[in-house]
Amino acid sequence: MSDITRRSFLKATAWIAGGITIAFSARYAMEKSVAVGPTLEFPNTESGKGWLQIQSDGKVHMLCPRMEMGQNANTGLAQIVAEELNIRVEDITLHYPTTSETAPIGFTAGSLSMMLFSKPVAIAAASMRENLRCRAAKIYKIPVDEVLDTEGGFVIIGSPRLGYQDLVTDESIELDCEDSVIPNLYTFDPRRIKKQVGQEAEPRGIKDLVTGAAVFSGDIQLPGMLYGRVIKPPVRKARLKNLNLLSAKNIIGFFDIVRDGDFVGVVCRTPGSLDKAVRSVIVEWELPEPINQEKINQLIDINVALQDGDLPRTVQDENHSPSANWDVDLEFAVQLQTHAMQEPRAAVAHIEKINDIERINIWTGTQDPWAVKRHCASDIGFSEDQVEVHPMRMGGGFGGREHYEVEQDAARLALATGLPIKVQWTREDEFRVGRNRSPSSHRMRLASDHKGVLSNWWHAYASGYVFYSRSRLPDWLLPIKRSTAGGDFGVSRGAHPAYKSSSIRVEYKEVDLPIDLGVWRSLNGAPNTFVIESTMDELARQKSIDPVKFKLMNLPDSMARLGNCLKRVEKMASGKLLPTKSGYGRGFACGVYEKNSFVAVSVDLHIDHEARKICIDRMCCAQDVGMAINPDQLRAQIESNLVWSIGMALMEKVEIGDGQIASNNFHNYIIPRMSDIPELNIDVIDNPTIHPAGAGEVALIAGSPAIANAIRDATGLRLTRLPIKYTDITVPGAL
Amino acid sequence: MVSLFERITELTFNGPDMNLFINGTERVINGVWEEETLLSVLREYFGLIGTRFGCGKGLCGSCTVHVDGEPVRSCITSVNNIAGTSVLTIEGLQQDSEKLHPLQQAWIDERVPQCGYCHSGQIMQAWGLLSKTSNPTEEQINAFMDSVLCRCGTYDRIKKAILRAAVMLQQSSDTHV
Repeated sequence: MSDITRRSFLKATAWIAGGITIAFSARYAMEKSVAVGPTLEFPNTESGKGWLQIQSDGKVHMLCPRMEMGQNANTGLAQIVAEELNIRVEDITLHYPTTSETAPIGFTAGSLSMMLFSKPVAIAAASMRENLRCRAAKIYKIPVDEVLDTEGGFVIIGSPRLGYQDLVTDESIELDCEDSVIPNLYTFDPRRIKKQVGQEAEPRGIKDLVTGAAVFSGDIQLPGMLYGRVIKPPVRKARLKNLNLLSAKNIIGFFDIVRDGDFVGVVCRTPGSLDKAVRSVIVEWELPEPINQEKINQLIDINVALQDGDLPRTVQDENHSPSANWDVDLEFAVQLQTHAMQEPRAAVAHIEKINDIERINIWTGTQDPWAVKRHCASDIGFSEDQVEVHPMRMGGGFGGREHYEVEQDAARLALATGLPIKVQWTREDEFRVGRNRSPSSHRMRLASDHKGVLSNWWHAYASGYVFYSRSRLPDWLLPIKRSTAGGDFGVSRGAHPAYKSSSIRVEYKEVDLPIDLGVWRSLNGAPNTFVIESTMDELARQKSIDPVKFKLMNLPDSMARLGNCLKRVEKMASGKLLPTKSGYGRGFACGVYEKNSFVAVSVDLHIDHEARKICIDRMCCAQDVGMAINPDQLRAQIESNLVWSIGMALMEKVEIGDGQIASNNFHNYIIPRMSDIPELNIDVIDNPTIHPAGAGEVALIAGSPAIANAIRDATGLRLTRLPIKYTDITVPGAL
Repeated sequence: MVSLFERITELTFNGPDMNLFINGTERVINGVWEEETLLSVLREYFGLIGTRFGCGKGLCGSCTVHVDGEPVRSCITSVNNIAGTSVLTIEGLQQDSEKLHPLQQAWIDERVPQCGYCHSGQIMQAWGLLSKTSNPTEEQINAFMDSVLCRCGTYDRIKKAILRAAVMLQQSSDTHV
């Protein structure tokens, strides 16, 4: 049973005004965060991570530990709280804390929310429930195990129900559940018939999103606020050569120029005058070395890399035989891709002086508010106590909001002018400084016996850095980490084969490309799975074996869940006959994301020669991420991932021009539109006894290879360069 | 949201005031704001934040509002070109204070939004369709909605929500007849 300890609270906020609270503890932090670096304080099962409070009116409040960007993780966590406390999700009030209101909490990334937070949140809520049960037992004057659950409280036969409001007083009590015995967790109890978990709870805040009331960072307005923008270089390594600001100063509405080396900011009184002033700035950039598409291609060319022998990193290396009799030997090129989240980043910063101490407040949509806080403090010479970040809902994240970037623009301009400043990045800014998914170059070879049993596997590839990208860590630490971390896990994600083979070598090389890179949905999971699943499909076809059968045959027993997804999706696909006309094809692919998320996808498509288009007609997907806390939101994530896989396979590519990122808006970076979306058939496999794993970037990995495999089926062409265009199909000898 | 009028007074320059009817109310714009886009005026001058900035070039549709009943991209619409017109934003779509507009309700019923950023624009564009074509085919929906991007990829649900709203609108007009 939990102990009740009384503490003097650090902050007299309304949050801890009264009632009963579950304490948050960062005592079990995985790794101490450095100023410039991601926040890694994740909860474990002991730390009682959810911040829950039942106030004296009996109302349950929850501080949301996850940043909201459309994944609705907090709704899922609220379902868990509701399950444990026998209440409805709608009865829980959600609060989004600032960085000053709670201890740091790990960044919202990598589809970790349900995996890492579901149990701590369940423990917190169950501990609260059991503590309240003890209180009820005292009032009823009976042993605690005779007190029964009822909706929003407890009951015993023959006595009136006690609601939570009857058990909580105005006195502040902090319930410390770190050292206690873990109570029965209803969420994870397979015998329990669940009322909240597994239901399709409505995403919190949905009404605000359809009425326009939802507030994003660019919506913040402060009295006296001005509009600022920093002139962005055309590509990462460009340095300022010439700058002429004279015409900007004559624009009506112009306020100030802020300059510090290559940092040039313009501040105006209205958004339109800012646009005009920035347009009037004459700026010339220079590069220490030329940057263009050809240069990037050379830097990551896998065949050039392999000329030097073994690549520096290995994912797996068993009985490798380089001179095996390879049945297939394919080269792949995966393109540079960007997040293109619908909301270009924006931040509002304001410095105020309280008791002679300056404090900066920053409103921003970020996946890592505590990193922004630490980085900002070191950037502008404040102590961390002087920085408060107000995390806002994000208009899409996808890995693109993990750095201190637009916040830096706003903080520096606010510091220089002494006024509240809003910085709204333009779409062009987003493209210029986006942390794009690295291009990669792969060579994959496979051999099998005549029955199709895999014997030799060799996958070698080169990619830019993904996780250890520029400014992920301080400049002095980054090279150390790059050389000591045993490989960039973003680069190696998805490279581990799900299949068994007596000989396996998976190796890679990281390259420091002269363009800005970073994490993108699934990191390199989607590129690596594209390569693996395309090559497996090709080998099956060359051996005249049905590709699904071939894959199932080569999966080890430990991959039963993956095999199950593949079988299910094959069954779903077969529910509709593929037209036998030429130009129609069906393809399959499957994959594992981060060990515990399994997915298979099928694609039906046809080549429309009249419209000169590859038309996706239907996609089926079976996905197993364990317990389905909210099946509808799992489906939503799958839909999103499938749409992204269409973009990856057929449309998206960031073009690099001469010394610049050339793609700059939606006319030259094409993303899927409504008419590109096929019929979607989705099967969410619920495995209620298995701890939930991530779902936010799973189906994407299997989507694009399933498309490539369907094109192979339709045309006989194995296309290995993304994105695949209609013109690739008409060029003879594309294999 | 803090009103901006204080600071706007300071920005007033010589020049005639201009009028717009925004969500049924006559509003006056003066000073340098007459040079602004409709999007900036709605968001920064009037605090109607529901209309979102997405691309600034009329390419993504997140900023869609109606001007005299037609969906337009407010990020490339200059206010001084539309003096005297009627502007409808997402905030003005709901006519009945007790009840959401059928499109908004359908969006909730189908659980459409993920990040939610584009959906003001999506709903306003969809209203541009349904206000003229009460019973659209799937092809008509595709054609009309293709210009509004959703990076989360909620298109399938958007389509279902539009079809659902069409039925709701049909039913409510039947009851009124």
